[in-house]
Amino acid sequence: MTASGVVKRVGSPLLFGVAFLGVWELIVMAFDIAPFTLPAPSAIWSAFIERFDQVLEETLVTGKNALIGFLLGIVFGVLMSLLTVRFVGVESLLTPLAVAVNAIPIVVIVPILNNMLFGTTSQVPRRLMVMLIVFFVVFINVSKGLRQVSATHLELMRSYAATPWEILLKVRAPNAVGYLFTAMRIAAPLAVITAFVAEYFGGVQSGLATGVRNSLNGSKDVTWAYVIGASVLGLTFYLVSSGLERLHGGKQNSG
Amino acid sequence: MTETSEPIDVTRAVEVIGASMVFNDGTPARVAALNDVDLVVETGDFVSLIGPSGCGKSTLLRLIANLLDPTAGDVRVNGKPAAQARLDQDYGMAFQKSGLFEWRTAAKNIELPLELKGWDKRLRAERVGEMLDLVKLPDRGSNMPWELSGGQQQRIAIARALASHPPLLLMDEPFGALDEMTREHMQSELLQICAATHTTVVFVTHSIPEAVYLSDRVVVMSAGPGRITDTIDVELGGTRNEDTREKDAFYGKITEVREALRGSEMTGEARGIEDR
Ligand SMILES: Nc1ncnc2c1ncn2[C@@H]1O[C@H](COP(=O)(O)OP(=O)(O)OP(=O)(O)O)[C@@H](O)[C@H]1O
Ligand SMILES: [Mg+2]
Repeated sequence: MTASGVVKRVGSPLLFGVAFLGVWELIVMAFDIAPFTLPAPSAIWSAFIERFDQVLEETLVTGKNALIGFLLGIVFGVLMSLLTVRFVGVESLLTPLAVAVNAIPIVVIVPILNNMLFGTTSQVPRRLMVMLIVFFVVFINVSKGLRQVSATHLELMRSYAATPWEILLKVRAPNAVGYLFTAMRIAAPLAVITAFVAEYFGGVQSGLATGVRNSLNGSKDVTWAYVIGASVLGLTFYLVSSGLERLHGGKQNSG
Repeated sequence: MTETSEPIDVTRAVEVIGASMVFNDGTPARVAALNDVDLVVETGDFVSLIGPSGCGKSTLLRLIANLLDPTAGDVRVNGKPAAQARLDQDYGMAFQKSGLFEWRTAAKNIELPLELKGWDKRLRAERVGEMLDLVKLPDRGSNMPWELSGGQQQRIAIARALASHPPLLLMDEPFGALDEMTREHMQSELLQICAATHTTVVFVTHSIPEAVYLSDRVVVMSAGPGRITDTIDVELGGTRNEDTREKDAFYGKITEVREALRGSEMTGEARGIEDR
């Protein structure tokens, strides 16, 4: 990408964002809206600066939950898709299971886990929720990548008298790498959202959503300060994962 | 008492005996792709299969490669059952789509069959170098497939097919996607490579001049069901070059193949009517 391309791609959204905040500020001033209803951007910003340490702390808690769940979900998703593609019998067993489990609105499992297994002092249920969500995205995409290999490649491997394991390692797995990066891009924002939402269902008194919930009775500028933290966290996850995907895609298609 | 099969001539690279291939038998989608096909390819021969689309050329090649099992009949390669020949990697294969693995460099693509055969790393590197020289791309080993032109990709695919010294090369329209100039150039190169490596070739093509230029024999097939209707000895001599394409004998053979093709379509129609 050229320098002017960067300016164009980043410049216009930035301009729009600044204009949006400006109008927001003006409306709050002009109609004299109470900070209890809708605080002005300037008020939110000063609340954010004032409570920066607190916001940062809660962001790190939620971020850590999201990251651990994300990584575990990737590991299990990849392992499970490798197993199912290698042993077809497992697939016929697991795919309906995956669909069934996927149909449960799984954040509601959090309070169950909180009460039954881990108690209310543990972050584990939240991480497990993130892991489950990420697992399904990775499992479905990587399985697709392992299966959708070119017929010519398979015929060639057969002509080389390759074993099923060799086909898995030398054709299916490399073919699925791109699908894994796509799955990571899709799953990264979901991981943050899930980590955030899971906090609403009880458990330890920490994390961004807990901060939001506990501040709802007071002035809303504090609430919005936590929202800034959440946005930054989600954006970070998205940028890193889509950057990785782009890096991989660029390696494949450039030149 | 066991019935002893006829002694197999070991010099025969390919022997297809009474082979039939029916897809989806017993369903409405039943296709008789090949019916009672006999084909013998002597070692060192270059044999082309030509015929209308759908007459079973690719199917016949897949039977020889043991990518498919015939529903009736027998296929032998180098005197062994086709399945054993495949396990022994007695043949190399190249398709119209080069089928290069896009995540591997050109050199790594050539190396793959050697890797699977368990060759030592140093030997592999040496052989890859030789093959890159053979297909006249000595500097392109580190390129990824998409960095190569269509003709270069096809050369790498041929190098890969020949890497493990297979005595037999099976090719399914390998130059079908190339422009006319590149195509003629690749044909001459293929002849040189096969002469240098003493490789037997079974070559599927749609192009009459290509079949005549390359082959010792042209096998003409017809559809509905797929079968061999004619075999034409080309007799243009062992050394062929660009001048060969200008010769009267060359044009004569092209006419002969064209007429055989037309004739096979006529009898095909006639039989179609008879059968009803
Ligand atoms: N796997 C398959 N399943 C069902 N039918 C098949 C299969 N492979 C080939 N056929 C059928 O067998 C017949 C012969 O196909 P084949 O690919 O051998 O023809 P071909 O001579 O190579 O044609 P073309 O010149 O178009 O490549 C066709 O009618 C085709 O539809
Ligand atoms: Mg074909």
